[in-house]
Amino acid sequence: MGFQMTDKMTLRVLANHARAAAENMAHTLHRTAHSAFVKETQDFTVMLMDRRGDTFAVPMELGATWYPGLTYGRAIDMVADYRPGDIAFTNDPYSGHVATHAPDTHLWKPVFSDGEIVAWTGGHIHNTDMGGAVPASLSRSLTEVHQEGLRFPPMKLVREGVFDETLMRIMETNVRKPELNIGDIKALVGALNTGERKVQAMIQRFGKTGFVSGVATLMDQAEAEARAILRAIPDGEYSFADYADEDSNIGNPCRLHLKLTIQDDAAVLDFSGSDPQLGSSLNVPSGGDPRHTMLLVGVYYVLYTLNPQILLNTGLTRAFTCITPEGSVLNPVAPAAVGMRSLTCARLRSVIFGAFAQAIPEKMPAAPAGNNCIVNVMTRDERRQKTVIAAVNPVVGGGGGMPHRDGTNGSGADAAYLKNTPIEITETEVPVEVLKYGLATDSGGAGQWRGGLATELSFRVFSPDTRITARNRDRSKFRPWGTLGGCSAGLAHMVMNPDTESRFDLGNQDTAVLQPGDVLTIRSAGGGGRGDPYLRDPDRVARDVTCGYVSSKAAQSAYGVVINNGVVDYKQTQTLRQSRSLRDTMFHFGAERNAYEAQWTDAAYDALTKALAQLPTHWRFFTKTEVFARMDGRKGAEGVDAALAEIEIRFPELAELLNPASPSCDT
Amino acid sequence: MDGTSPPREDWKIGVDIGGTFMDFCALEVNSGRLATLKVLTTPDDPGAELTTGLSVLQEQEGLAPEAVTRFVHGTTVGINTVLQRKGAKLAMITNAGFEDVLELARLRMPDMYSLFCHRADPLIPRDRIFGVKARLNAQGEETTAPDAQSVATAIKQALASGAEGIIVSFLHSWRNDAHERLVKRMILEMEPSVFAFSSSEVWPVIREYERSCTAILNGYVHPRVAGYLEALEKRLEQKSIPAKALLTKSNGGVMSARDGRENCVSMLLSGTASGVTGAAWLARQAGEDRILTLDIGGTSADIALIIDGAAQFGTGEMIGDFPLYIPSVSVSSIAIGGGSIASVDGHGVLRVGPTSAGSIPGPACYGRGGTDATVTDAMAVCGWLGHSDLAYGQLRMDQSLARNAVGALAKTLGRSVEETAQAILNIALSEMFVEVEKLASREGVDLRDFTLLPFGGGGPMLGAFLAKDLGMGRMIAPRRPGVVSALGGLVADLRGDFIRTVFAPLDGQLGSDLQVLFADLVEEARAWLAKQGHEGAAELNLTAEMRYSGQSYEVEVALKQEWLDSAEDIAQAFHNTHARLYDFADPTGQIEVINLRLAIVGAGPDPDFPVHTAKPCKVEPQKTVPVFTGMACDIPLYQREALPPGAQLKGPAIVSQEDTTLIIPQDCTATVDPMSNIVVRFDGVSND
Repeated sequence: MGFQMTDKMTLRVLANHARAAAENMAHTLHRTAHSAFVKETQDFTVMLMDRRGDTFAVPMELGATWYPGLTYGRAIDMVADYRPGDIAFTNDPYSGHVATHAPDTHLWKPVFSDGEIVAWTGGHIHNTDMGGAVPASLSRSLTEVHQEGLRFPPMKLVREGVFDETLMRIMETNVRKPELNIGDIKALVGALNTGERKVQAMIQRFGKTGFVSGVATLMDQAEAEARAILRAIPDGEYSFADYADEDSNIGNPCRLHLKLTIQDDAAVLDFSGSDPQLGSSLNVPSGGDPRHTMLLVGVYYVLYTLNPQILLNTGLTRAFTCITPEGSVLNPVAPAAVGMRSLTCARLRSVIFGAFAQAIPEKMPAAPAGNNCIVNVMTRDERRQKTVIAAVNPVVGGGGGMPHRDGTNGSGADAAYLKNTPIEITETEVPVEVLKYGLATDSGGAGQWRGGLATELSFRVFSPDTRITARNRDRSKFRPWGTLGGCSAGLAHMVMNPDTESRFDLGNQDTAVLQPGDVLTIRSAGGGGRGDPYLRDPDRVARDVTCGYVSSKAAQSAYGVVINNGVVDYKQTQTLRQSRSLRDTMFHFGAERNAYEAQWTDAAYDALTKALAQLPTHWRFFTKTEVFARMDGRKGAEGVDAALAEIEIRFPELAELLNPASPSCDT
Repeated sequence: MDGTSPPREDWKIGVDIGGTFMDFCALEVNSGRLATLKVLTTPDDPGAELTTGLSVLQEQEGLAPEAVTRFVHGTTVGINTVLQRKGAKLAMITNAGFEDVLELARLRMPDMYSLFCHRADPLIPRDRIFGVKARLNAQGEETTAPDAQSVATAIKQALASGAEGIIVSFLHSWRNDAHERLVKRMILEMEPSVFAFSSSEVWPVIREYERSCTAILNGYVHPRVAGYLEALEKRLEQKSIPAKALLTKSNGGVMSARDGRENCVSMLLSGTASGVTGAAWLARQAGEDRILTLDIGGTSADIALIIDGAAQFGTGEMIGDFPLYIPSVSVSSIAIGGGSIASVDGHGVLRVGPTSAGSIPGPACYGRGGTDATVTDAMAVCGWLGHSDLAYGQLRMDQSLARNAVGALAKTLGRSVEETAQAILNIALSEMFVEVEKLASREGVDLRDFTLLPFGGGGPMLGAFLAKDLGMGRMIAPRRPGVVSALGGLVADLRGDFIRTVFAPLDGQLGSDLQVLFADLVEEARAWLAKQGHEGAAELNLTAEMRYSGQSYEVEVALKQEWLDSAEDIAQAFHNTHARLYDFADPTGQIEVINLRLAIVGAGPDPDFPVHTAKPCKVEPQKTVPVFTGMACDIPLYQREALPPGAQLKGPAIVSQEDTTLIIPQDCTATVDPMSNIVVRFDGVSND
């Protein structure tokens, strides 16, 4: 069967062959990798790239969802003289802006045809450990990238098919689980080689010119599909902010702010007004790339949700331009720490969802829970006399209420890639007793379409000084928001020994130390509700009550549905529901955020942002923290100005930076 | 009885029911006479097609009902019950605190780029799941005794909810089934009219979601399957067929239909698995040991690997939205078939599938009311089809209807009807290509070492093109591709699977435990085989599911019984298997034995099918027909029944037969082998 040049009639053939190559690479890596990070968590990517290093195909079932728009171009250019059989690599978040934290090791390999590079195969694995201050190389409390492990700027790892043993030995010497790193990297090399072979087969099939022009068509097609979606969205400016609970250990809220401007078939995402670069590892190293894939993950979700047939490749990023001021949390300057950027990325996605929710309210769901908490336990197995370190289940929340159905319970939306571990496996391997693993009643935001429920995990330990880490915990202060009259969701929490006298609320902490007999309960946030809960079919509410999703108390207070002895009292329900008019407010944030924003108004943040922008980067987080410490009893722009004035007195060095032109005698 | 009469006739029958047809494959063993037949299904009167088919075999093929010594049936009634969600109303009793295990499943969802992604609604909704106070720890020791009051309340609530059946699933019942047995007994005492299954009796494997789900699938299909099988046995009785009905199983073997009434979960993949069994049998006869099977039907294509002549097994095959955790023949399903509909999307891109015209109305060219352009219509437009009636004369093809349907798309695209049809075929093939590549890379095999065996109505039409795309060297097209599943049942062995979860480190102390478990498994397996009415020898296949400590998936390793005392031998076998599957082994790694499994096999019939001498010969085509292959050309058309063993053909050519059309593309050669298979070679080697 013959082939013409790729046009719209034959596009799917090339797209399918490209995807087949990507899927083949993903399965090869997944099959041959060594670490649980790759095998279980599937924290990896593989991709095919065009001659410039722009991704044109990714797998759809295996791996992470963050990288279809990744471009390797900058990193490729930092290595010279590629030859067939070469493979280059980097894990440095500040060289080429491909890797975004040190555990992520990216590799790329040229595909030659007639002596010239026509494509690249590439991908990354999340190494279990890259050395540095803490095991696994990740901790919120780290303050500079140098603490986060060994870094390799872009360089050749394999030369004409031969591994650079020197580099491998350096890595082996510096990391905690060298055999996993080496095993996974070799598996990724195998996948890249597979990809190269498959690309060669495509070149043979479609011809070199056909292949190159076909790849360009695939990108153009993705761009056209993305632009078509944007064109259908009303032009306008849509501003939205959301907060991570803390900007560092026991810190202040971290604000991300977005002004989304849609004009015709293009969009600008201006993140000005977001927090300054942080003194913790929550920074997202985008390098200021206006189309950095990490900034656009939320956009991929929106586009795919609106058109599930969209081609996922770099082409769809062309319609978007991101603005991230240098020295901000979304564009930190070296050596800011970046290890825990995934927590910030979850919030970044909800900011994007919030902006699009205003632009196309009829098509967008309410906020997903947005806290992808990974729980690890280190304890002593007294029976087997050994120390056990193991992952217990991820504790994630539900999706937001959708335009046509309830939010997915227990996970969903942008957390659907996570997988749990059976209780029977956990209890067999780790000396813990799980008391509950299930959904939390009333944790989903009330709405015509209810938010997905939160997950709750509760377990008891038996050995002294059992250490728990609950990485990426968030949403214990700021609720996932409801939309169009729907309510915000339940908060996340982590509590020791609930329902006892020794109950202890761990707030937003992401670690805990437990003693024998202690119980730890970790609950995620839920998903936001969509539409006024008074519009929810009373029978549906009654069903939620029999299923334990909603308490009968909440059925009445939040949904206006009166249930007597398990049966809906329609008359009383009608009366109750008529007692207030229907709500369709765009967002419902909950009391906590309302209280916070009463103090920290937009104007307050404008004042703070303006002041911080005048400062050198290394002064900004310090100053932000000092301002927050002086906001008690103050609010709004005036409050911030007053706090700043106080700080200028306390720190004259700062005053000079903030008022460089003013003669010192004036004060 | 007269001892001097000619040898008594001995008929063995395989019957497989699909969406549109019930397929029959009947063999008279002494004469080697093989009769095949397709009968349209009668959804309004299930089972009537069986009577019809048997009558036709009686009248046309001389089948003597009283001479039927084996009757094997494959049916989709179980899987359809799940797909159409028409199963029993079930309740479940489980540990308090874990009532949401079914809904949470394993968390990860398909379609993970979509904010609207969601899991399928469980087969038992949350309001019919009742938690009771009771708990075992991971060692199987009781930490909380079942609270009689709480259990009684749960059972009452379950009954009050209108449940026809109750599933009992408790944590760690893989280690100790005492709580499950107790509660099941209480249920049956309180209400003998409901049925109950415990998770450990269905398949006592570790992992609560998977074990519960398997037990639920069993209960969900139980009333329908049991009813269907009862009716089937009655019909056989009415037909005076003495053979006890056997049922094809998901594991590629068979069991007694009587057993299937309780053990329903074992037959959910009945038809697909026996297709692979049939294909494996054909492959062995033809001396092929590495096969990719391709079964293309109206809505989907099923692919499976056969390695060393044997089907591959897996656990976790999907039944609709739910994983089935008993050993099953690994079959991957692709949502592209002959009825897949081509369309042009909003961006002017031509696409194929995933929607299908199904069997009703079916492709436009069938003239049964379909107007959408399907893959079959594209084949018809190109001229590959329509040279004889289809499905034993039960379908007729109208090329002009196909041209109308494809023409509508061609107009949108601004291309010729033929070009558009060709593009539809290329896209359909590329959709299959993706899935086959995934299968091959997942299993770590190189398809260039494999031979394609296409069957089903559509397999032989598209198989050669796909095989060429995949770089395969050869394709072997069986004589009767439409009845391979029925054939699979005809030749299948009795096969039972049994499991004990071990979950212990592999060390010197484990040996005696394994011996005890093995003896236990052997006893259970032999009892099962005896219950099936098998009297001959039995083969025991012992395997263990093992892993390196820290991994969370297992590798199945074939073991020899004499290794059970030797941790070293078992370890070596594991390292070797791990290296073969994953390209590496960790000789110093701690190994864990998770499950010990035993499969018992009671050999089925190994009938002799006719083998002919194949003398190379040239054959003349019936005629030439115009076909579009990128350009218009005339291609020779052959009738399959006119091709003697040894016949040599050159592509491009069309071979037309009563149940399908075989296409031999350009640059290929083909020969008819002694078993009447057509072997197509793509390597360009000419037989001339």
